[in-house]
Amino acid sequence: MARVAVIKFPGTNCDEDVVRAFRELGLGIKAEVIWYKDFRSTGWDAVVIPGGFSYGDWLRAGAIAARTRVMDEVREGVSRGLPVLGICNGFQILVEAGLLPGALLPNESGRFICRWVRTVVEKPRGPWLALVEDGSRLDMPVAHAEGRYYVDEVTYREISSKSPLLRYEKGWNPNGSAYDLAGVGSEDGSVLGLMPHPERAIGVLTPRGFNPGGEAILRSIALSLRRGW
Amino acid sequence: MPLTPGEIEEIRGILGREPTPEELAMFEAQWSEHCSYKSSRLLLKLLPTSGSRVLVGPGRDAPAVEVFPGIAVVFKIESHNHPSAVDPYNGAATGIGGIVRDILTLGAKPIALLDLLYLGDPSDPHASWIARGVIKGISDYGNRIGVPTVAGDTWFDSSFDRQPLVNVACVGLARVEELVGEQPRPGDLIVIVGNPTGRDGLLGSSFASKPLAEDVDKDIGAVQVADPLTEKLLIDSLAELVQRKLVRYIKDLGGGGLTTAVSEVAAEFNLGAELDLDRLHLRTELTPLEILVSESQERMMVVVDPERLQEVSKVFEKYDLQYSVVGVFTNTGRVVARFKGRVVADVPSKELARPRSIRRASRPPVEALSGLTPVIGLPEVSISEAILRVLSSPNVSSRKWIYEQYDHEVGARTVVKPGYADAAVLRLDAGDRRGIAIKGDANPRYTYLDPFNGAANSVAECFRNLVSVGATPVAIVDELNAGNPEKPEQFWYFEMMLKGLAWMAEELGLPVVGGKVSFYNEDHLGRQVKPTTTIVGVGVVEDVSRVTTMDFKESRSAVIVVGTTFPEIGGSEYLYRVHGLELGEIPRPRPSSELRNSTLVLELIRRGLALAVHDVGLGGLGVALAEMAVLGGVGVEVDIERVPCRGCLRVDEVIFSETQARYIVEVKANSVNEVLRLARQLGAEASVIGRTLGSGVYRLRFGSAVVELPLDTLRTAYLESLERLLG
Repeated sequence: MARVAVIKFPGTNCDEDVVRAFRELGLGIKAEVIWYKDFRSTGWDAVVIPGGFSYGDWLRAGAIAARTRVMDEVREGVSRGLPVLGICNGFQILVEAGLLPGALLPNESGRFICRWVRTVVEKPRGPWLALVEDGSRLDMPVAHAEGRYYVDEVTYREISSKSPLLRYEKGWNPNGSAYDLAGVGSEDGSVLGLMPHPERAIGVLTPRGFNPGGEAILRSIALSLRRGW
Repeated sequence: MPLTPGEIEEIRGILGREPTPEELAMFEAQWSEHCSYKSSRLLLKLLPTSGSRVLVGPGRDAPAVEVFPGIAVVFKIESHNHPSAVDPYNGAATGIGGIVRDILTLGAKPIALLDLLYLGDPSDPHASWIARGVIKGISDYGNRIGVPTVAGDTWFDSSFDRQPLVNVACVGLARVEELVGEQPRPGDLIVIVGNPTGRDGLLGSSFASKPLAEDVDKDIGAVQVADPLTEKLLIDSLAELVQRKLVRYIKDLGGGGLTTAVSEVAAEFNLGAELDLDRLHLRTELTPLEILVSESQERMMVVVDPERLQEVSKVFEKYDLQYSVVGVFTNTGRVVARFKGRVVADVPSKELARPRSIRRASRPPVEALSGLTPVIGLPEVSISEAILRVLSSPNVSSRKWIYEQYDHEVGARTVVKPGYADAAVLRLDAGDRRGIAIKGDANPRYTYLDPFNGAANSVAECFRNLVSVGATPVAIVDELNAGNPEKPEQFWYFEMMLKGLAWMAEELGLPVVGGKVSFYNEDHLGRQVKPTTTIVGVGVVEDVSRVTTMDFKESRSAVIVVGTTFPEIGGSEYLYRVHGLELGEIPRPRPSSELRNSTLVLELIRRGLALAVHDVGLGGLGVALAEMAVLGGVGVEVDIERVPCRGCLRVDEVIFSETQARYIVEVKANSVNEVLRLARQLGAEASVIGRTLGSGVYRLRFGSAVVELPLDTLRTAYLESLERLLG
């Protein structure tokens, strides 16, 4: 059975939700919460860095966690093609660690925002989006204070031509992100970061008028690992 | 409140000598109203507290009820009114911290928070500063500790301009066999874990037990500072300790700090304790007196068998939490505190923990007569303007601007989210269909005009909110926010609220398993804020995939009202918002109608006949219909003359009456006969009053007159009003 490490920092709070989401979908994946000091990159088929407030968001969201030794392990794994998903604070950590381009700034409103949004996937590629078609809509909730994605124009041209992207559908950008970007992947899609929470967008948790967008992402990784990513 | 000369005399008698300064501080903290309930304890005995589901009743840090076989819900309410008046951000944030730690003491996992805020007029700059600070404090703290804020209540009234009421509640989940609460034994170690103790919150419970001073800023030292990261680590580490059964007993260091935590446990189990104060980890150098009564936040006491200490230490070290072993429980019955080898306090734990109850005088004030003033001679107003005016009232309009600042989804349990229904619904676990519904309610205007019936209506409103989503209500907790108990005219409100609460809880079969009393809610001029009874209730949901929300689902459905309407607009939002009046007889509590009508609504939901359900509350039928239409994006047409109304003389009485025990239910047109037959069988009154429409309009007919409003206009009034005031 494929093993997924869900890395927990002090202040991480979505770790168990991710584990239970895998279990609920019955994907034949064994996801385990691993305390950040105990994580080694070997022995895992994929890694999730879940949401929360690592180190209380002191300094900047994700800034301290990104500089812990465990991220060297993650970087090591990434260099070998280990699939890594960063959700919310996990995305912030990946960006702070330089594993994904751009930066995440405080929301335009200056306030924390928790709400369901619609996103559209472009150039789905890699293990996390294997089951997602280009242009399809994934609905998920966001819950963050620092989720306004920023990239400079040069980098944007690069990622928009090469990398998988998630964009907030027109009118659904909750935080003022540049180019309506909700998530971005590495070129091959093995590393993916996104502000919305796939683990909260499953089955009965989905409110009227939205689709359970998280299921596609979790099913994708399960399928990819089964096929031997 | 500082100790009275009489109390100091009593302490001399208990000790048989002059008390030391440390001992006096301990008594001051522990005998404060906040910690001891000395003014309220005799009356609290009126409350019904037992029931077949009650596992832990009042007395512990939090009560527990069994919601499914082997599954316990632990829930509790707390107020942080005084700290929030001085430092709204930290006051509210630490309120969240404290209530979460109460839930942890039983070994439960906190799964939901509720915030119940009674704030000043948003157009007043000071009140607005308090409101934003409180909301930001809850947002920053609740979000960071990973507990979703799923429901609440918000009210704006100028009586809260200087002194808000900040009530917070937490709900936890535990397996019954894992509930913590073994008896501590002599020789067990007293371990304090969490934040190092500092000078913040010194005698905070004493500060909360007196009226607000005119120069409140000097009380800033009595307010604690919030550290949500440490709280999160406490949650995680205690979960591990509980799961591995490494602790015997857990207690929060809340009001009264170390003194209260130790003396209450010692008194409860006929024990004594020896404390070495210099062993406690500190933020800064403190005197023994300060150590004893500091209320620094994010600290807990765990009682540990000495043989388990090593394993317990390892867990705390894993989470980088500071801890210290400050003493042991003994069998002497005395709490003895040493500092650098010198005994600074030596007091009997029982007498320290429990001061004598005080019987307070109670007398109705003249202003209570406003609740008996007849509502007559109201000028005629435009109904459509009145509907928009009431719908856009800060007390009625959508709380979206507030709840979107709270993470209400973390935990992946929130099936019915804020803004969709009368109560939040949470599943127990991923893939589990079982769940619970939660909601909190109060109406300060009702309890101000008529404290007995107002408190009873708070219970009934909470009951209906739970029923509306399809939950069977099982238990409530209460927060009684009252004035100065030393003033008979203010104490009267407390006494009547308590009696109204006790009566209605009994009538509806809802045990009051826990609660809190907050006195001295006066502003700097000695005026009490509107006395308020806040009720938080929990209901059982058999299948979370079959709950109902309040949004109209489709066009051409039948719209049914359950219950009879009476001309009860005294104390209503309509009277206040449209006519500027706060007077009159408030709607009468109707427990037997509540029970009959709720049985019908629950049966309709169980049979899948109800497409949408909404209880009729603030703003009456007119507002309830508008909310259902706006949220569903579905138009509605209702014939007001078909609303069963006894004694109504004017159309505004039918539209805006806040008569209790009523619901609006959307059902498919072809199931109307079945619904009406069921209603007859169950003795409930149900009548078809209109239908949903394919077009985006809201239409009320009465005789030849028609009121028609576009849904877009209603949507703006409902969804954007609060943001305009606070944003």
